[in-house]
Amino acid sequence: MVRVRQVVPVLIAGLLWAIPLRAQDSTGTIAGQVTDVGTQQGLYGVVIKVLGTPLGTQTRTDGGFTLTDIPAGTRTVRVTRIGYTPLEQVVTVTAGSVTPVNFALHAQAAILEPVVVTGYGSQRREAITGSVATVDPTTANVGVVTNVNQMLEGRTAGVNITTNNGEPGAGVQIRIRGATSLSASNEPLYVIDGVPITNAEAEAPGFGIGGAPPLPRSPLNLLNPSDIGSITILKDASATAIYGSRGANGVILIETKKGASGGASMTYDSYVATSSPYRSMDVLNGSEYRQFVAGQVALHNSDPLKGLDSTYLTALGTANTDWAKAVSRTGLTHNHNLSFTGGSDITRYRASLNFMNEQGVALSSGFRRVQGRLSATHFALNNHLRLGVNVTTSQANNDYLSFENEGGFEGGVFMNEVIFNPTHPVTVTDSTGTHFYEIGPGAQGVRNPVGLADQIQDFGITNRTLGNISADLDLLPGLTGRINVGVDKSGGVRQIYLPKASPAGAQFQGLARQINRDNTSQTFQGMLTYTRQFGGVHDLDVVGVYEFAKYRIEQFQAEAQGFLTDATGFNSLNAGSVQITPQSFRTDDKWISFITRVNYGYKQRYFVTGVVRRDGRSAFGADHKWATFPGISASWRISDEQFMPRGPFSDLRLRVGYGVVGNPGVPPYSSLIRLEATGGAKYVFGDLPVTGFAPVSDPNVNLRFEKTSQLDFAVDYALMDNRVSGSLEYYVKRTSDLLLEVSVPQPAPASTRLENVGKTRNRGLEFSLDALAISRPRFTWRAGLVFAMERNKVIDLGTYTFLPTGRVSGQGQSNQISQRIIPGQSLGTFYGPRFVGVDAQGKQLFVCSSGSAGCVNGQTTTPLASDYAIIGNAYPDFTIGLHSSVAYGKFDFSLQMRGAFGQDVFNNTALVYSTKSNALQGKNFLRDALTDPTDIRQPAIFSSRWVEKATFVRLQNITLGYVFNLPGPPGSPRSARVYVSGDNLLLLTGYSGLDPEVHAEVGLASVGIDYLSYPRPRTLTAGVQLAF
Amino acid sequence: MTKPFRVARPRLSLLMCTVLLSALGCTDLQETPTSSITPENFYRNEAEVLGGLASVYAQLRGTLDDYWYASEVSSDEIVVPTRGSDWYDNGQWLELKRQTWTASSPSGLAFMNGSWNTPFTGIARANVLLDALQRVTVPNQGAIVAELRTLRGFYYYILMDMFGGVPIVTDIEIKPRARNTRTEVFQFIESELLAARTDLPDSWPSTSNGRLTKGAADAILASMYLNAGVWMKETGVSPTAYNTCLGVVVSGGADACQAAIDAADRIINSGQYSLAAVWRSNFTADNQTSPENIMVVKFLNKPDVGLTFIMRALHYNQLTGAGPWNGFATTAQIYTAFDANDQRRQMWLEGPQTNVETGVPVCERPSGSTCAPGGTPLVFTDSIRDITQATEGEGPRFYKWPADPNRPAGEINGNDFAYFRLAEIYLIKAEALNEQTPGSATALGLVNTLRARVFTPAVPLAAIDRASLLRERLFELATENKRRQDLIRHGVYTAAWDYKLAGAANLILMPIPQPQLDANPLLVQNPGY
Repeated sequence: MVRVRQVVPVLIAGLLWAIPLRAQDSTGTIAGQVTDVGTQQGLYGVVIKVLGTPLGTQTRTDGGFTLTDIPAGTRTVRVTRIGYTPLEQVVTVTAGSVTPVNFALHAQAAILEPVVVTGYGSQRREAITGSVATVDPTTANVGVVTNVNQMLEGRTAGVNITTNNGEPGAGVQIRIRGATSLSASNEPLYVIDGVPITNAEAEAPGFGIGGAPPLPRSPLNLLNPSDIGSITILKDASATAIYGSRGANGVILIETKKGASGGASMTYDSYVATSSPYRSMDVLNGSEYRQFVAGQVALHNSDPLKGLDSTYLTALGTANTDWAKAVSRTGLTHNHNLSFTGGSDITRYRASLNFMNEQGVALSSGFRRVQGRLSATHFALNNHLRLGVNVTTSQANNDYLSFENEGGFEGGVFMNEVIFNPTHPVTVTDSTGTHFYEIGPGAQGVRNPVGLADQIQDFGITNRTLGNISADLDLLPGLTGRINVGVDKSGGVRQIYLPKASPAGAQFQGLARQINRDNTSQTFQGMLTYTRQFGGVHDLDVVGVYEFAKYRIEQFQAEAQGFLTDATGFNSLNAGSVQITPQSFRTDDKWISFITRVNYGYKQRYFVTGVVRRDGRSAFGADHKWATFPGISASWRISDEQFMPRGPFSDLRLRVGYGVVGNPGVPPYSSLIRLEATGGAKYVFGDLPVTGFAPVSDPNVNLRFEKTSQLDFAVDYALMDNRVSGSLEYYVKRTSDLLLEVSVPQPAPASTRLENVGKTRNRGLEFSLDALAISRPRFTWRAGLVFAMERNKVIDLGTYTFLPTGRVSGQGQSNQISQRIIPGQSLGTFYGPRFVGVDAQGKQLFVCSSGSAGCVNGQTTTPLASDYAIIGNAYPDFTIGLHSSVAYGKFDFSLQMRGAFGQDVFNNTALVYSTKSNALQGKNFLRDALTDPTDIRQPAIFSSRWVEKATFVRLQNITLGYVFNLPGPPGSPRSARVYVSGDNLLLLTGYSGLDPEVHAEVGLASVGIDYLSYPRPRTLTAGVQLAF
Repeated sequence: MTKPFRVARPRLSLLMCTVLLSALGCTDLQETPTSSITPENFYRNEAEVLGGLASVYAQLRGTLDDYWYASEVSSDEIVVPTRGSDWYDNGQWLELKRQTWTASSPSGLAFMNGSWNTPFTGIARANVLLDALQRVTVPNQGAIVAELRTLRGFYYYILMDMFGGVPIVTDIEIKPRARNTRTEVFQFIESELLAARTDLPDSWPSTSNGRLTKGAADAILASMYLNAGVWMKETGVSPTAYNTCLGVVVSGGADACQAAIDAADRIINSGQYSLAAVWRSNFTADNQTSPENIMVVKFLNKPDVGLTFIMRALHYNQLTGAGPWNGFATTAQIYTAFDANDQRRQMWLEGPQTNVETGVPVCERPSGSTCAPGGTPLVFTDSIRDITQATEGEGPRFYKWPADPNRPAGEINGNDFAYFRLAEIYLIKAEALNEQTPGSATALGLVNTLRARVFTPAVPLAAIDRASLLRERLFELATENKRRQDLIRHGVYTAAWDYKLAGAANLILMPIPQPQLDANPLLVQNPGY
């Protein structure tokens, strides 16, 4: 890393000496307007370049532009804008005068940028041989978008996005061409401005009231979606091989917006949104509950072995509380972006500021972000040296709600929303004042959910700075050297206080915890690019890269219990009478990579790309630190062949690619035997605890990358003068050396260790279509469709017959699992007893094999392990995304829908909360149980009964906008767009739970399990965008 | 103008290449953990070795979870009924009670797997430290090595009890290994303990109270010899008749029954131990001072090292500031077997209940912990109508280790758990004597010595036999992790009792859990599974 500092100045000095600067000739100016042929409106943001010079600018909001200092003479001016066919015009520039020049651009079917970032460089779209998709951030940034991942929903075939739940800033599960790994991460690699980042949590996990804590929020929340200039998704292995060991789950390349030369411009946009829960839990209300208990008491009076005794009736309160309503609210969100950009031919800048405040639809939850960003580029040495710097710094304030993601004997907010007796009030007033109503004093398993939300303090504050500095230097004709240095530093603190006055904190007499986490990443890239055309028909592009990266995570945690007063909260840990042993750790991870890529094109018709990456990583076993990842792909533009008749295809290309990539999902030190002073190693000698050091891991010198090979076939097509275009792709992905935490032969210090065993296979078909259905003056209509189907299969699990996963949550569900990973079956396979009905005694009946104990006529009330069978699969048969936009005069309208078909979801919430036996403990339950013949004394038993079809279609977003052209004095807004937008307006599904899109982290590769998730909101947004 | 450019060309290229090549040298991927350490740079002095030793002892705590569940719930002592929506838990508790487990059934994957992993982890920790001690010399090394060998022996004792023969491993390599026979495991433990006992002290200074002594090694040996009729046999263990130690040849050609008596006598005559005057004091939070303790699992009312037993059985409303789990009960069969005048029956809570700390009467859950007017008082019945749908109050609860009055918060209690108390040594000696001389007067005397302290006025037995000895062990040692072992030795483990039908002969050995068979293909499953 030290070398960088020395090298750059030396190079600059060398060049200063080598390339004499040319004197400026006399110059002229061009000015004019760029309009849309269809709407005849001015086009904002069109890039204007004078070919053969470094000069360029962008159009203002009215489509106007002015470009000065152009060397006089005949110049070719090229204008490009995403979604439009580029245009060139020859202009004669006269010294000292303004030459008027206007352009009218034709809209393209798909919104495609001509040049695509492909990792360590970029390529013209038609030369790309791998499977690469782009998303236009402008059209995707609609409604309330907290993080960049949400912009990908339903827009790219084979990219499946599931937001964990409806919490503000919730984490997002992204699967590019499905999940292949069982225990390693299935998340893609993110590369921001060329720097691969780790998406490690910036904040430590929470306390977990009565179960596992809610899932962490997305670390990508630290980026402002409005700063994103382009998003590229590398899907197949031939494309991701350039990222080698980190490419197995696909790669998302994010380029941030940069400054442009020309006149300074400024934009301000802002929106206000309100959100409310789309659905809430359907439980009995107070009078229904009272009526139910009265019925049970009557039953008991006639048969003492049935129903509830009369004390259950006397224990009821007199209130009628709708707990779902009591814990939710209408959340208000507002967002402000201010950016300005400008610069000259040699220096350009863009600066932006973002403030976002999002209130959750559940009490006491929210997200707030303040973010600033600065980007500058400088062209020196007559444009032979290009320097760039990007710095983003942000603070995210997370206000967490104490809800549970799994587990659940003593619940968090959402469990209590369901079970807390509706005949009890939210608050009561007595001699001690007004306070939350609780079932009893002190610690209680059942807690007032409003009290929980209100009393428990749980905050996360993260500061993150992400920056890179780059220097590109033209060394020889065609040869460019580049150095890119990136730093990503975040500091997050989690602050939690459970007050002694709350039932959750009573057992500790108040509990305060602070956890600090610091993540640091440093990346150095040295790159040489050689580009040459020769013989008029050959295009060659060669890249060589050396990359070095270091990642460090440091954490410190302190906790105290036993407080005299709740007044100091988490701010005075020394006030606690019981000090819990503080904890800290640090991990370091180091990567070294060598990369080569060759792109070769012949006659603009035949293209081949070859990639080899050699990756080394410190975390792997001593014998397997290095691995090589190759990729090769080719494309053939058939439509340009002589033999192709001028048929319907305006463009037709065939592509084929193969590559091998890796999944590095191994925490540092996993290959070593390590000793740690854990709580479990502590013992008592005499009357004193002795710190024990125990081996916490088993050595494994063979620990290595998980490898995925992928074969991809594709056809890219365009019809009717490119008004209809798209792709059809088929792929086979094979993952071997699966990383799995498996039992090791005993004795061993740790009962399991990470090993490379097993294989999976994914096959899929993807189809996309973009159409410009109507293109008339003042009226355009675009529509797009993405379709994907995928089948995965576990091929081999080594010596393991199956792996249990999908832990079931809730009272009475310990050690219950809902899924098995079985060789020969798909991932996400639900496994358990098959429900047939309820017998006359109100006991549930299940299928059994005749002859087993308790099996009568193929039915039993006590299913044995041998009676379990496959009862569903959590993966959809296919998914569809639809998007459409209409521009009519000054109005614009867009909508986006997506759907998934054929998948099963295990409704864990219904299993444990739609059982009348909750009433035995004075708890409420879901209304469905009222009509269920299962007896009140029966436990909740996991079975096929709770695995439901969860096909859905969601109207993701509708936006309607109107553009004003504002006259006014200089400096006032020149154009304004106002819009209204709705998110999650309509959900069509037969699924009985809150939402069919679910995520719970309950074991290896477990999917499709619904447990008490934070409700997804329906959001209405109104916004304005001003450009100055 | 172009000339200097040409000159510069090779220089710049060279420069870039130099950068890349020098960077090539930067390929060191050696990994050194910073917040943990590797064995090569640890165990270098006495304090570090004691830190390692503590971790081997620490695993004893874990044996009071899955091994305790498997030993107690699979016997007649403890039942975990399904109480409405509580405690169904995949049917694992009912399965354990009914002895219908398999290698991959819920209780097999939970309790048997835990009973396999926990002692083996202790063995692995001992092996790692014993390996390191070959390269370092610390004060008191002989005693420490002896402690480690004894601890390792005890972990093998648990495995032998549960699974029969298991792989005997004294190195640190992790690899598939075949099972040794149960006899080989018995003989391995025996030779280890006999070798270690000479280096173990008679007692430790109070600052090391709780570490293993000669007495502990002798107690394990005494227990092994008494069970030799089960554990020394590869075949011929009877599931339905008493498996006597008589005639089983152990170390030095001795008869196992005599060896049990000899080991017991070494303890009784050591001068180190005496019966506690008050039986209950063996279990209270200050029980570390009990003169009766021979081998204990140490607990303190501090985080990470507290005993949580009270949580298992008490009702939700019976503790202040913590919510117990209302799970583990006993059956009428067991509860009523205790004499009403036997102080030892006080280990069970039965009848109307109070908060065990404040003595304030409590109610069932719907009525709240403070008993809303008209609420249902909490009453523990002595019988459970249906263990698949019990009520909150059904079944007496074990409360042998009472709440620690100095609990700082939550469920952290300082009561030690004794694996061996002098009282049991009396009973072991009595049972072995009874094998040699049925109805032995000396044996009767030992039993009546124990009974004398728990009955006022005294209710001595007039005679003893195998059945009365088993009963006396129940009264004295209930929930002390002995019952499954005792029932197997007495040939009644597979018999029918409350909520359970008679079972197959193979049930006297637990199945090797499926994940272990998967991990180690050389393991062969026990017969019948």
